[in-house]
Amino acid sequence: MSTTVTPESFAMVDFDAARIVDVVEHLRGRLQLPDVDICIEVDETTPMGRVRLARLDPLTVRVESGALEDPKAPRQLSEPGAAEALGRLLLAAADRLDPAFGAPALDAELPGGVAMAWDVYGVARLGRAGYGVSQQRRRYHFRNRFGFTDRADRAFDRLWDGDDLRYEDLVAIAADAVSDESALTT
Amino acid sequence: MKRILPVEELARDERFVRVDLLSRMADARKPSDEDRKGSQAMRPDDAASSDGARALMHGIFMGEIQALEGAGRTCWDFDIGTAHDEAPFELKLDMARQCWDEARHVEISVKLNEWMGTEIGEFSESTFLYEAACNPDPVLRLTGVNRALEGLAIDIFSSMRSFGQLAGDPVLEFCEDWMLADEVTHVKMGSDWLRRITADDPERRKNALEFQKIVDKLFSLGGFRGDDDESPIKLARRFRELAGFDQAEIDEIADLAHQALEEAEARRAASYG
Repeated sequence: MSTTVTPESFAMVDFDAARIVDVVEHLRGRLQLPDVDICIEVDETTPMGRVRLARLDPLTVRVESGALEDPKAPRQLSEPGAAEALGRLLLAAADRLDPAFGAPALDAELPGGVAMAWDVYGVARLGRAGYGVSQQRRRYHFRNRFGFTDRADRAFDRLWDGDDLRYEDLVAIAADAVSDESALTT
Repeated sequence: MKRILPVEELARDERFVRVDLLSRMADARKPSDEDRKGSQAMRPDDAASSDGARALMHGIFMGEIQALEGAGRTCWDFDIGTAHDEAPFELKLDMARQCWDEARHVEISVKLNEWMGTEIGEFSESTFLYEAACNPDPVLRLTGVNRALEGLAIDIFSSMRSFGQLAGDPVLEFCEDWMLADEVTHVKMGSDWLRRITADDPERRKNALEFQKIVDKLFSLGGFRGDDDESPIKLARRFRELAGFDQAEIDEIADLAHQALEEAEARRAASYG
């Protein structure tokens, strides 16, 4: 199974494609990802930090350079940061490749907030696999989205401590995080 | 104790990493056309905004440390007097009062960083605030730091307070509000001292305002601060009025921010050849 990173060399950031491959290979082993080819497409023209799953076959992640960048060193690769940014997407991809998880099609729009709930579930699993992640950072993101309430915090804890969750669990927990379910439609 | 302490000698432990402004400005990357078309303002439902707020809060924390160091140096660096390299006792008293505020802001910022899931030193430090506080003329220090950079702090605190309000985050909202109130006082100190010290010295006032203009333009941060609702950091007109800026001065800062945006765009376009 291969891992490829494009571009092979970078002009606007000081990233090394081989080091990104190493990060993905480490994730592949540690997270016991399915045996599939993985393509990482880096957009080095933007400092923004979005990451998204573009295709499942081959498994393709599109990432903006800011998501892999060291916050203390402009334009330099952060391997721990890359592991977190790519790891949660690769775990989400593994979820999608597991029929028992019950994910909708990749191009289907997720109900509001479910993507964030999935992120929390992914980052928590990364933490349990030994990667350095910040629970408080994710809780802050979650609170911004769902509210600074005990209800939202309980939902967050269920995601963070969750194991073997299914897509329908994520939808239910996201719905439970807000007292007014209409908030999920935004 | 040394006077005019060089920026390189500021005490920091191993958690802090400095990145100079030139290195930041050498970045040829730019947000996509799609990103630039949309609103740049922080939104609670956008995970990127949460991380943006975290980075900004860490920047505020570093700024508070340097503001404390800068105001403290102004108490120490000058003999009491009215010459260009001296400072009135009452000005030093105001700077001592400001140190008290800034020390409290540092503590508030540490707690806010914890609240937002940010570690001290997680982001790099820029030392531009302290560097502006090294000017050998106390009036230029007050225009560069109190009016220009603390003015920027007013805009940032006001924007962060709005973000806290939108997200329903009472901790962020109230902390930013309390610090904002102090910043208005600090900026007003700068405005008042500029007018008092240069009342009979139009040339010195002109130089001080020119220095402020340079700092204001530089720290419009390529259009990051602007006068419209779409800007990540919005020019806080009302609070600037309270801090002693007149409408013409506020309009001028808005123009400088617009120029900074255009120049940043031109630099990016040129870097693409």
